Amino acid sequence: MGEILSTHLPSLLIGQYPNGPLGGLALTLILSVLGLGLAFPLGIGLALCRIAPYAVLRVPSTIVVYVVRGVPLVMLVFWSYFLVPTLIGQAVSAFTTLVVTLVIYQAAYMSEIVRAGIESLPRGQTEAARSLGMSYGRTMRSILLPQALYNMLPSLISQFVSTIKETSIGYVISVHELTYSAGQVNSALLTKPLQVFATLSLIYFVVCFALTRCAHAVDGRITRRRAGVTPLVESKVHDPVLQG
Amino acid sequence: MIRFSKVNKWYGKYHALVDISQDVGKGEVVVVCGPSGSGKSTLIRTVNRLEEIQDGQITLNGTQVHDKSLDLNQFRTKVGFVFQQFNLFPHMSAIENVCLAPTKVAGRSRNEALERGMALLERVGLAHKASSYPQQLSGGQQQRVAIARALAMEPPVMLFDEPTSALDPEMVGEVLNVMKSLARDGMTMMCVTHEMNFAREVADKVWFMDHGQLVETGTPAAFFSNPTSDRARRFLSDLRSH
Amino acid sequence: MAINLNFGSLLAAPHLEHLVAALKYTAALTAASWLLAVVLGVVLATLRVTGSRSLDRGVAAWVAYQQSVPMLAHLFLWYFGISTLLPAAAQSWVNANNGELIFASIAIGLCMSAYFCEDVRSGLRAIPHGQQEAARSLGLSFVKSMRYVILPQAIRASMPPFINHTVILFKNTSLAMALGAAEMTYVVREIENQTFRTFEAYTLATVFYLAVSLGLMGVGVLVTRRLQIPAR
Repeated sequence: MGEILSTHLPSLLIGQYPNGPLGGLALTLILSVLGLGLAFPLGIGLALCRIAPYAVLRVPSTIVVYVVRGVPLVMLVFWSYFLVPTLIGQAVSAFTTLVVTLVIYQAAYMSEIVRAGIESLPRGQTEAARSLGMSYGRTMRSILLPQALYNMLPSLISQFVSTIKETSIGYVISVHELTYSAGQVNSALLTKPLQVFATLSLIYFVVCFALTRCAHAVDGRITRRRAGVTPLVESKVHDPVLQG
Repeated sequence: MIRFSKVNKWYGKYHALVDISQDVGKGEVVVVCGPSGSGKSTLIRTVNRLEEIQDGQITLNGTQVHDKSLDLNQFRTKVGFVFQQFNLFPHMSAIENVCLAPTKVAGRSRNEALERGMALLERVGLAHKASSYPQQLSGGQQQRVAIARALAMEPPVMLFDEPTSALDPEMVGEVLNVMKSLARDGMTMMCVTHEMNFAREVADKVWFMDHGQLVETGTPAAFFSNPTSDRARRFLSDLRSH
Repeated sequence: MAINLNFGSLLAAPHLEHLVAALKYTAALTAASWLLAVVLGVVLATLRVTGSRSLDRGVAAWVAYQQSVPMLAHLFLWYFGISTLLPAAAQSWVNANNGELIFASIAIGLCMSAYFCEDVRSGLRAIPHGQQEAARSLGLSFVKSMRYVILPQAIRASMPPFINHTVILFKNTSLAMALGAAEMTYVVREIENQTFRTFEAYTLATVFYLAVSLGLMGVGVLVTRRLQIPAR
């Protein structure tokens, strides 16, 4: 078994590269970085709309977040696959569809984290800033967001882990990420599904577990640095809102 | 009533209780005082076995407290314990807190428990707050409910672990008044407290502890006016300088 | 771009029957996974809290594994991989009797049980140690103190994440489509393939999932409110 899998391990890790496009774990990581990276500014914007004093910003953003959180990821992928080419008038690769879906999905969840991060800051921060004469915008930009984002670092890493897991949905639209590659290997070998999918699970476990430990370590450092301010609760890293 | 016989306790290498030997007589009110870390809370917690001991014996009314074969749950119904942090059950109202042990441990009927519970709340001055929840009560009120709860099983002995230390100053008096009335009614009490006026008024004996040792015992009058040990003298002068 | 929506054709036979069957399938899958997840989650949390250190570590490692692997990988491992470990007779029986439902329930149930386990644990951790001491000091046994003092508080504390994970479990049933299980997403896709009414079909599925998700969250709000202890 070991030899069979070692011949196939490269395709699991990097797809058909260099004889074809990048795939496997490498593509999974690229998708995750792109997805979360683009979702981040969008998520901050969405969060600011959610807590904005104007209903015209609050209501639509709240609806968007609830819809995205209430619909399974696979349905969102199908919607994107259908709507994106229709809306921009030309064919779109499965890769792009997946990135768009991940960005929207993660933006909704990120906005909840950013919102919680801002709302968990002591009121005294806002009061002090406004007393100094700062406007709402300036207070948000210079005082609240920087602190909220620093506190959110463990949650961000945790979201990155979630995104990695979410890329597996690419299987359904034939994006050559890790799960799809494992499916390919399984079709090639036919008689070793247990070994193939156990290896698949092991790869995900190693990557995601390492990153989760990273998140815990960062959480610990932040708690120690901010000693005196309310320490972060452990649930920040395994926040149920963020999983799935 | 309570007898400590060469009681020793270690936390790892740290000798928390050193050769404690002393008695508490029936109806006696003993105040245990001393600097923080002296082991006074540890000592009182060994009486109802919230803390274990490694050497020596503690007997309460003839029962060996640290005997392995003791029915601990039954035994604990005979010792009332009042905590510094009150530890009322937040999901139950005051009367429900008081009636929990009588109904679920002693098996009394709900009506009987309610009647006795209301009488106890009346005694601590909180009958009108029977259906209030702990979060709706002030610290002093919570502690008084906690005392009523501890009294519900009619224990012959009451233990108090710094009952007023977590209270705002203006609420200390109402709790001490309840404790004083208990003392006057003849309850056997052991209290760890910093309230020296309470000791002067109702205590029969003062035990002074330092670094796990029972350094000095005496009547309040003797102890406060003329302590025999240097450590006690230093402790009292530190107290007075506030 | 002419938009011509026609929901009627979707809701006529034979599609309506398929949709109703899909509804039942999704309901069965959700119920089976949820039951497995809750029961196992509580058992695991109890093991973690009351068991030896090595048991605690073992369960923690298992929980970390379940939470680090995507649901799709879990589904494939169980349906394609672990099924091959069964004796031949069992395999044929399973294949004839809704194998996808069985293995999907196991995969989803096991994965979500890890999350429920952590929810129960965090609920228990939220309770100050003094509560246990006070209960035991009154003479309540360990079991009685858990039953009357600790667990009622723990359940209240763990309700919000518990509801959240229930909604996530429900959404995860859609992934069983990758196994060919005839749940809602799969059936909607089939209908879409046959009728080419993509927008209508997808909207139907979306409305279904949204309604149930929001409904579950609503139930959660009601339950949390009922359990709430009156504050100042």
